[in-house]
Amino acid sequence: MEFVLKAHMPGLVARVVVEVGEKVEKNQELAVINCMKTEMSCLSPEAGVIKEILVAEWDEMDIGSDMIILEG
Amino acid sequence: MIKVINGGIEILVEDWPGRIGYMGLGMAAAGAMDNLALQLGNLIVGNDTGAAGLEIAGGYCEFEFTAAGVISITGADMSPTINGSNVPLWEAIAVKTGDKLKLDHIGEAGFRAYLAVRGGIDVPVYLGSRSTCLFGSYGGFEGRKLAVGDDLPALPSDGTADGIAGRKLNPKYIPAYTNVWELRAIPGPNSVPDYVSEAGMDYFFSTTMKISHNANRAAYRLEEVPAEFWARPDGGAGGSHPSNIVDHGYNMRGAINVTGNTPSILIADGPTLGGFVCVANVINADLWKIGQGIPSRDKVTFTAVTVADGIAARLERQAMFEADDLLIG
Repeated sequence: MEFVLKAHMPGLVARVVVEVGEKVEKNQELAVINCMKTEMSCLSPEAGVIKEILVAEWDEMDIGSDMIILEG
Repeated sequence: MIKVINGGIEILVEDWPGRIGYMGLGMAAAGAMDNLALQLGNLIVGNDTGAAGLEIAGGYCEFEFTAAGVISITGADMSPTINGSNVPLWEAIAVKTGDKLKLDHIGEAGFRAYLAVRGGIDVPVYLGSRSTCLFGSYGGFEGRKLAVGDDLPALPSDGTADGIAGRKLNPKYIPAYTNVWELRAIPGPNSVPDYVSEAGMDYFFSTTMKISHNANRAAYRLEEVPAEFWARPDGGAGGSHPSNIVDHGYNMRGAINVTGNTPSILIADGPTLGGFVCVANVINADLWKIGQGIPSRDKVTFTAVTVADGIAARLERQAMFEADDLLIG
């Protein structure tokens, strides 16, 4: 079943640290948001496989912005 | 009294007015970013306005109470729950040992929530304040933001806690939250005509500026001003840029400092001096709004006021704290 990693803070995407097809564990860091001059990890809500990366470096996020689609 | 189960984004011990009197030694005053919410929260639980509480930026945190007490949650609404049930903001709440308080993410408006406990948070007083200076790594709880496992005691309170639980802030005094914050500011000390053009000041006081993602307890960075902002047309982009001046002391909190073409509002943990112009200063009564501005989302506007206006606004704020109808119940 598909699920989506959503941004948990407003800010800019600093980097995505996974690739399409990669298997990830629950709470594994998938991306990093830069806000308040601090880097904040975006953790996978569940274990799964990266299906599609929707964001690129410096994209602006708000809370709830879709970042990465995973297949559980 | 309060044990951290999830440290969220940034939780700090802060009081008000912070660490006053050490800017000459390069030490920022620190203190609550939204002093209004902290002070009201303290009054709700029967503390002095300036008692130390927890400043919660961005939400996503959880606490367990290791002793019974009375708390209030003020500031931004992060949908707080105790043991899974919703609890109100701006109201004194009795908690018992083992209760779990959880805050979700920020909502439509407001970035910082404040947790006041009856008695106040008990951390060492350092140079007259319990506030954390995050960028100096001193004050507060070990000079840092809180992390999982930290357990903070509360100071003993005077008198009985009977009857305090359920006490609320009169709704008419709940601050209005928004996504476009009007900040009243006094022009100067480095403004028109010596440093900034007439057109530049007109731009400054008529333009809605977005808050950058680079906004924290030291400075809230804003969108760039145009080249026409400056009185001096030459200088280029480096050290001769017209934003550069001989080093001078910056005002404590609220100075609008421009480096290159980028304005930043210097705030709680901000620099105490430097070599860039400060074109205006947000009045004391409006400092709280900066703390509630959401980085990378909210905007600010500046309205020119006089020193007399700033003093009047401050007196009005003081009168509110002393109003007979401030609290209900």
